[in-house]
Amino acid sequence: MASRDVVSYDTPLSRVLRILASLFLALYLVWTLLPFVVMFVSSFKDMLEAFKLPAVGDWAGITVFFEFTPTFKHYTSLFTENSFGTYILNSLIAAGGSALISVVFGSLAAYSLSRVDFKGKQDLFFWIISTRMAPVVAVMVPLYAIFRSLDLVGTLPGLILAYTTFNLPFAIWMLKGFFDNVPYAIEEAQMVDGATRFEAFRAILPLVAPGIGAFIVLCVLFAWNDFLFAAIIGSGGAKTLPVATRELVQPQNIQWGSIMAAGVVTTAPMMLLGLVIRKYLVAGLTMGAVKE
Amino acid sequence: MATVTIRNVWKYYGETPAVKDLNITCPDGSFVSILGPSGCGKSSTMRMIAGLEHISSGDILFDDVRVNDLAPKDRDVAMVFENYALYPHKSVYENIANPLRLRDVKEATIKERVEGAAKLLEIGHLLGRRPHELSGGQKQRVAIGRAIVREPKLFLFDEPIAHLDAKLRAHMRGEIKHLQRTLGTTMVYVTHDQLEALSMADYIAVMHDGELQQWGTPSEIFNNPVNAWVAGFVGEPAMNFLTCGIKGEGDKVSLMHRNFEIPLLAGQVRQLNGAAQTGTARMGVRPDALSISMTKPDEAAMRGEIFVNELLGGDMLVEVALDDCRIRVKTTPEFAGKPGEACYLTVNRDKWHVFDAGDGHAYF
Amino acid sequence: MTDVSSLSGSTRDMGAQLFRARAHSVEVEARPRAEISHKPRNFNPPLPKHYYFYLMAPAIAILAFISLYPFFWLIIMSLQDVTIGGGEWVGLKNYTKLFTDARFLEGWVLLAKYSIMCLGLQVGLGVTLAVVVNSSRYEKYLVTALLMPMMMAPAVAGLLWLFLYNGTFGWYHWLLQSAGILDSASILAGSNTAMYAIVLVDVWQWTPLITIIALAGLKRVPRDQLEANMVDGASPLRNFFAIILPNLYPVLLIAVLLRFMDNFRFIDSLLVLTGGGPGSATKILPVYLFEVAFKFFKLGRGAAIALTLLLVTILLGKLLVRVFEKPQGGKG
Repeated sequence: MASRDVVSYDTPLSRVLRILASLFLALYLVWTLLPFVVMFVSSFKDMLEAFKLPAVGDWAGITVFFEFTPTFKHYTSLFTENSFGTYILNSLIAAGGSALISVVFGSLAAYSLSRVDFKGKQDLFFWIISTRMAPVVAVMVPLYAIFRSLDLVGTLPGLILAYTTFNLPFAIWMLKGFFDNVPYAIEEAQMVDGATRFEAFRAILPLVAPGIGAFIVLCVLFAWNDFLFAAIIGSGGAKTLPVATRELVQPQNIQWGSIMAAGVVTTAPMMLLGLVIRKYLVAGLTMGAVKE
Repeated sequence: MATVTIRNVWKYYGETPAVKDLNITCPDGSFVSILGPSGCGKSSTMRMIAGLEHISSGDILFDDVRVNDLAPKDRDVAMVFENYALYPHKSVYENIANPLRLRDVKEATIKERVEGAAKLLEIGHLLGRRPHELSGGQKQRVAIGRAIVREPKLFLFDEPIAHLDAKLRAHMRGEIKHLQRTLGTTMVYVTHDQLEALSMADYIAVMHDGELQQWGTPSEIFNNPVNAWVAGFVGEPAMNFLTCGIKGEGDKVSLMHRNFEIPLLAGQVRQLNGAAQTGTARMGVRPDALSISMTKPDEAAMRGEIFVNELLGGDMLVEVALDDCRIRVKTTPEFAGKPGEACYLTVNRDKWHVFDAGDGHAYF
Repeated sequence: MTDVSSLSGSTRDMGAQLFRARAHSVEVEARPRAEISHKPRNFNPPLPKHYYFYLMAPAIAILAFISLYPFFWLIIMSLQDVTIGGGEWVGLKNYTKLFTDARFLEGWVLLAKYSIMCLGLQVGLGVTLAVVVNSSRYEKYLVTALLMPMMMAPAVAGLLWLFLYNGTFGWYHWLLQSAGILDSASILAGSNTAMYAIVLVDVWQWTPLITIIALAGLKRVPRDQLEANMVDGASPLRNFFAIILPNLYPVLLIAVLLRFMDNFRFIDSLLVLTGGGPGSATKILPVYLFEVAFKFFKLGRGAAIALTLLLVTILLGKLLVRVFEKPQGGKG
């Protein structure tokens, strides 16, 4: 067996390149992770401490960032002065509801699309995927008008349906690719062994269950992180976390501590879920173009 | 166990016919191989027998029962797939037990049968493993185990050993043949490898372009091919073909080429009958029906020049340039000719064939 | 006799290799035993695949209700003057007005500018990062770290960066000032700098997407091509431009198209950060559409704008699907 990497030989140039590469990597990591650190740390700071900055050009003064007494008051105020408990529930119901609808109906459709050929299949498929790719604002214009006439604006069912506009086509597209990778011969073997068509379908479910679970999580992620639909379709009765966080920005009084705390509350669960389905995350984020 | 009758069966995919008017009868307990290159319709035929494809026209009967409209599960067949189609999330034991579970067999019976099958296939020590922990040969045995555990009417094997390496393939040929003899169940075995078909089957159905070319025992197929296509497909190294002129009348007819003229044997003249008028025919000779020598043995010998020698262990294959074509001859490793030297070929006329120059059918 | 014998020994052997297969297949050709010309009698048509359609039906029905039906509504709305109360037919007026609407045209220009800046930076950084990460021992952990920004709600990311950019207490503001890049005004307040600010946020959040896609492309670069090129005498740098980059091209195209369409789709962080301002310096088309439809509630005009946006996206989508379906790898 050959080694994984193409061999490389040490030359002065390659040594310099390696050092430059490490430097670049270090800088990039700082730039990509620093905002998280600031958000996390600031959510435990009192207002005045959070606003402390060194003088311009005083690089040594960076240490003031760490000079503070941790406080949980921003977190508690989210749940006492604001009703973040309700918003979390709203987010959960809207995201979870649309994820379930999308994956349950999506997997049935994806399975059929994967196993049967018919005229116009490509067109149907393109319609499905273009629904996913449509700009959210553009979709929202007619959806808002329709939902208003049906009294769905400001309700959780309305928001669930709105999220389904992007989650259902996503689920169909991803799960079709997923079912394509399950050999049909396994189902055929089941049928020859004595299973009915439906039993054969059921027999491959254990094979695809982890993937289906991961796609539910991905759908939750997309819906949970949405702001536009929630701001317009959900406005009023179905306020979700990103919208509630945004509302902490008031012209006269921007409650930065609470915003950072709310940011942590909104982001942390999704990061954990992302780690749980790490294996499917890349495929999900790239619409299946990349499989790790 | 069953006799399988395929009667006037057609298979269309859209407008394209994949199987054309197929008629085959597999006798009860026989080992039948369907042989042909990829795309010849052999797999479609097998899948129609299994019930995985609908039959476009015609009938398939098990004994005297028409099975056209039966679902796979009701046909009582067992199939081994080309890529094994094992259930990756189940253990070997559960894979083999699957057909029994689907039939609500009692747990004790399942255990007994699975272990029996595993013992027969020498995979008893693998029962706790998952398919991904097995080698190709082991997966293949598990797939066979799944097929034999149930004692079905009919075995269907779809190129089951195509993905194994050469040595293992040779070993499995013997195993599968022995297994079929032991169980006595009718077997339909699809393959594109003529060696597999010749070495294992009781009967071979040679298919090409969706049509049955020839049905017969391995020796009939090998020794009396019905047309040039079958003759060329079966046998390794492949048969040599040479387009020749036909000369003569009455009892003396010979095949003519630029530098030789070989008379037909007495019986063969009759078999050729009217074809002499057409003027040309195709001669077919297998490499082992030719002998080579460095000196001219008789008048009928063909003169050529050695092109290249290949030593194949116990045999030597000599490629001889004969005018603008090349002929392969099997000889012994002691043969001393060098490339570029002149040589002479003699045809064993008991074993040669003459095919029609037009449609390729065999005169003898 | 052909002129085979006149060739030199080694050439002849090579010739023998080449000819061996041919010499024996030449005369073996398909000769059906008997031509079967008649079509079968009592032909059974293939059985209908109806149960597959039953499985598809619910998803199709839902999609029709939330995508097809709104699409027709959108067309109808674009021909009306829709306000909260109801609609009034105005024909093509909504469309003709667009041509004289400076904000609309500017919105497209800004969208193009925004997308090109984002993509240029993201592809440059993303590919470099992919090459660096690919040769690192800690690849798995690095990729996980890089995925983090993408888990954050874009609106929250916008708020976070609003904090970081803040002119009096923002750490990035301080950083930019200390580095001498910016004077005391906030980056978000300047009509020249605001665009860079929102581009940076997009770059922060989505460069890793390009990186992971490029990383997958790097893994697919055929090793034999690299090695052949090295044996032929190429330096690592030449290898990169001659072998790696061309092999990367198809996956990068997918990445760029995906990001391009996302720039059309998502304006969450932009709305939070600048809301299109200062003035209309960052009012890219989707933001303008948002304003027209949901701030001024001119839904008819909004519908007309939305249709133009949809049209462009669908064209891009067609392109993307075609790229998806092409076999990947190989030279672009």
